[in-house]
Amino acid sequence: MRILLVEDDPELADAVVRALRTENFVVDLATNGEDGQHFGDTEPYDAAVLDLGLPKVSGVAVLKAWRAAGRGLPVLILTARDGWSDKVEGFKAGADDYLVKPFRMEELVMRLRALIRRAAGHASPQIVCGPLTFDAQLGSFTLDGMPLRLTALEWRVLSCLSLRAEHVVSRTDLFQRVYDGETEVESNSVEVIIARLRRKIGHQLIETSRGRGYRLTAGST
Amino acid sequence: MRFIPESLGGRLLLGASAFILMALLITGVVMDFAIRRFIQGQVDGRLDGQILSVADALRVNSDGTIRLERIVDGPPFERPLSGWYWEVLTPSPALGSTSLRSESFALAQQVTEDHPKPVTVDGTGPRDEQLRVRVQRFYLGSRPVTIAASAPLHALAGPLHEALTPLIVTLVLLAATLIGGVFLQVRLGLRPLARLRGELAQVRSGKAERVMGAQPIEVRPLVTELNNLLDQNAVNLERARRHVANLAHGLKTPLATLALALEEPSHDREKKLLPLVNLMDRRIRHHLTRARAAAQGGGERARSLLSPRIADHIAAFTKLYADKQLEFVVDVHADAAVACEAQDLDEMLGNLLDNACKWGRQKVRIKAENLEQSIEISIEDDGPGLSAGQVADVMQRGQRVDESAPGYGFGLPIASELAELYGGSLSLGVATIRGLKVILRLPVAR
Repeated sequence: MRILLVEDDPELADAVVRALRTENFVVDLATNGEDGQHFGDTEPYDAAVLDLGLPKVSGVAVLKAWRAAGRGLPVLILTARDGWSDKVEGFKAGADDYLVKPFRMEELVMRLRALIRRAAGHASPQIVCGPLTFDAQLGSFTLDGMPLRLTALEWRVLSCLSLRAEHVVSRTDLFQRVYDGETEVESNSVEVIIARLRRKIGHQLIETSRGRGYRLTAGST
Repeated sequence: MRFIPESLGGRLLLGASAFILMALLITGVVMDFAIRRFIQGQVDGRLDGQILSVADALRVNSDGTIRLERIVDGPPFERPLSGWYWEVLTPSPALGSTSLRSESFALAQQVTEDHPKPVTVDGTGPRDEQLRVRVQRFYLGSRPVTIAASAPLHALAGPLHEALTPLIVTLVLLAATLIGGVFLQVRLGLRPLARLRGELAQVRSGKAERVMGAQPIEVRPLVTELNNLLDQNAVNLERARRHVANLAHGLKTPLATLALALEEPSHDREKKLLPLVNLMDRRIRHHLTRARAAAQGGGERARSLLSPRIADHIAAFTKLYADKQLEFVVDVHADAAVACEAQDLDEMLGNLLDNACKWGRQKVRIKAENLEQSIEISIEDDGPGLSAGQVADVMQRGQRVDESAPGYGFGLPIASELAELYGGSLSLGVATIRGLKVILRLPVAR
């Protein structure tokens, strides 16, 4: 799950980035509206956390530009402006959620997970695929009712496949949602992670669609 | 100084009256003096004429006595004891007017010197009547002859009285008319001030933004200054509000960082600091809301259409409570408008709808009813509702809302406070769909 954080306060940005990374999110940070808008336009994000009072281009302007360009990624506005007029304006500009500073990190994480889940088309927090269950709200996996222990990279790949269960996810797409731009990785690293996951949850659950990508499936098709 | 009235009209009236009365008094005194002089002149002329005609008729006998060559007594000198007398004082035996009847009158003082012109002396007649006497000394040949002629004092007083009576009446009437005129002028002249006061009151009550209307030239600079003051005030208010907002928003980002840092157990072992951060946040939010709302004086200028605001809010709440998939039932007339600033209306609707969405199970119903002076907005949810005790508790918390914990009903006191600022009200009841019904009453926009 790859998140774009657009926040100009370095202290807060740093705290949020660190906290989100411990929750296995891949996080890119933009410290002004211009960069934020550019990142959102060019990279595939599962969600964006957007401050309103930004240098160069305001948060609302960034959001409107994304929506005008047809970018449908879920956006959570994170701002100090707590008036309902500001909130309503934010939603009118195309926001999907609104969180007022100061906030609890737990709350931000829960809301982001809910946004990503709903954007993927899941009304219920429990995503079931055969013996595998992904609780998109808590971010935990169970296999046959038993908790599944995963590394950060494994979790990222599996959560991405789970959200798009029964759909093919391309290798590039997976790659972009698992690594942030800064990390140096081997070109075959996704294959390596898939292989490790198959050992943990069983080969039949992750299907390779040759030349296209991978699919998490209950196996009947 | 305590005799000076406090009102401007009273001062003008008192001052003008004092000057009018003084001017009329001086006029009266001068006129009285002039009329007196005129009447005395008339009487004196008559007496002097009589003296001359007596002197003209006097002849010296061979024995040295004097006699009158002819009768000189015309009226009123022939009427007995009329007060109109003449008498040759020297030499004796004396000659006198018919009216004297051989008696004589006494002079208050002796006249001895030569008098080429007559002099005036007080005298007393045979009947003790007060007389005005003119005395003149001639020479008949080498003989000195003193002739006196008199008129009764009442002959002077009568015409004076006759002349002064209408004069005094005229002066009194003139004074009354002038003071009445001043009174009317002051009333009319000060009317623009009363109008100005009325317009200022309108500004204060929020019905007007500036002092308008046609004003007399003298009052216009005052009105201009007043309007400049009002504009300046509005600018300062706006600046102060912006400062408060900037301060609040500026505090919130570091506060957010602090809160995130304190969430880590190693930083706040006793769990005492995070509640403090939350308290700071609530206080900032409370005072920010207050500063925003208190800055808007009256609401009659403002006008906000309900229907589009509610639609925007529902769009927002549909996303905020996406997982609940609430059904919003709206019954609001398209023209319904309240006399509130949009920002404050948003604040009230936002807080109330947030509560309804938080506690509602499936349905939130919003209805606006147009009463004569106000619009009644009812927001109902199908949640657990509130008991009578809880209602009292929730509304009481509004008195110290900045101290209260967030949670159930936190938004109600805020909305209630805002509604009261606009002369509206907030009341709670039981919803037709089982849960809580909040009735927000706001002034209707004309």
